[in-house]
Amino acid sequence: MKRSAVSMTLALCLGAANAAPMGFKDSVMTMGDFSQSWRESWVNYAFSARDAVGLGGIDMRSDDKSRSRTLVELNYTRLLKRWNLEHAQANVWLFAGVGTIQGNDFSGSRFAYTPGLQVDFETTRVYLAASARLYRASGLNHDFGSLRVGFSFYEVDYDQTQPWLVLEARRMRGLSDKTEITPMLRLIHNRYFVELGVNNSRQARANFMYVF
Amino acid sequence: MNSISRTLIALTLAAMAASSFAATSVKATVNGMVCAFCVQGIEKRLSKLPATQAVHVDLKQKVVVVEAKDGQTLDAKAITAEIIDAGYDVIKLETVQQSAAEIKAGMKGGK
Repeated sequence: MKRSAVSMTLALCLGAANAAPMGFKDSVMTMGDFSQSWRESWVNYAFSARDAVGLGGIDMRSDDKSRSRTLVELNYTRLLKRWNLEHAQANVWLFAGVGTIQGNDFSGSRFAYTPGLQVDFETTRVYLAASARLYRASGLNHDFGSLRVGFSFYEVDYDQTQPWLVLEARRMRGLSDKTEITPMLRLIHNRYFVELGVNNSRQARANFMYVF
Repeated sequence: MNSISRTLIALTLAAMAASSFAATSVKATVNGMVCAFCVQGIEKRLSKLPATQAVHVDLKQKVVVVEAKDGQTLDAKAITAEIIDAGYDVIKLETVQQSAAEIKAGMKGGK
């Protein structure tokens, strides 16, 4: 009941993909990443061009559906380094989160900490990203890694929607023994960011971002 | 005064009048603009400046244009600061006597 309430709250908070994990200064960004065994939502506020604080969480379960985890955390995102090039941009991001994690195979809540790094490189036609995140708590290790590559079919004007094909491989320790691979159609507009795909377990995935 | 002289004077006055009413814009060349979703911060922030009439972003040319309201002056330093706060680098800034729509049309025509 409590877990469902948390999930509903997070879903309402909207939420998350793997592009820039924060908006511009004084903006609020919502992100979401949803599939049958992974529901992730975040909302954060950028108090500078390089720093954002937020609230988020993940509801995840094992491949055989026997174990589940619900993480709720306060999160800090820091743009460690950005290279603004004439036709490209590259970034190094730091994540630091603390919160609580619950599971169906242990009682109560445990303190969790979730440091992570993301590096990405993007042009108007090519996208590459790698991220690593530690999801740790007493007796729990759900470290996570992902790789993304993508290309856009063509360049567009600023106010037009640009379609991309993105391929993501991600893996989480302790809950799943296999690497999830998801080809996704990404649609980027100046007002929204959406990704839709089906992973190698034939589960639908939907990611989105919105900046206020 | 013959008709040729009258025509020349009329054309000169028309040109002067046109230039005095021409819109003023600040045109910035910006590095790092690769994604419309990420760049929206530039448009949102610049649109809120008090002297801004219109903003045009061109991802292909890496250009941001801010058009001034009639009779108002754009603050180049404020524009640069807003673009930097949106996460990008300004590498060139120039003031031109064109509207954002005219610059947009010129860029489309030049592609």
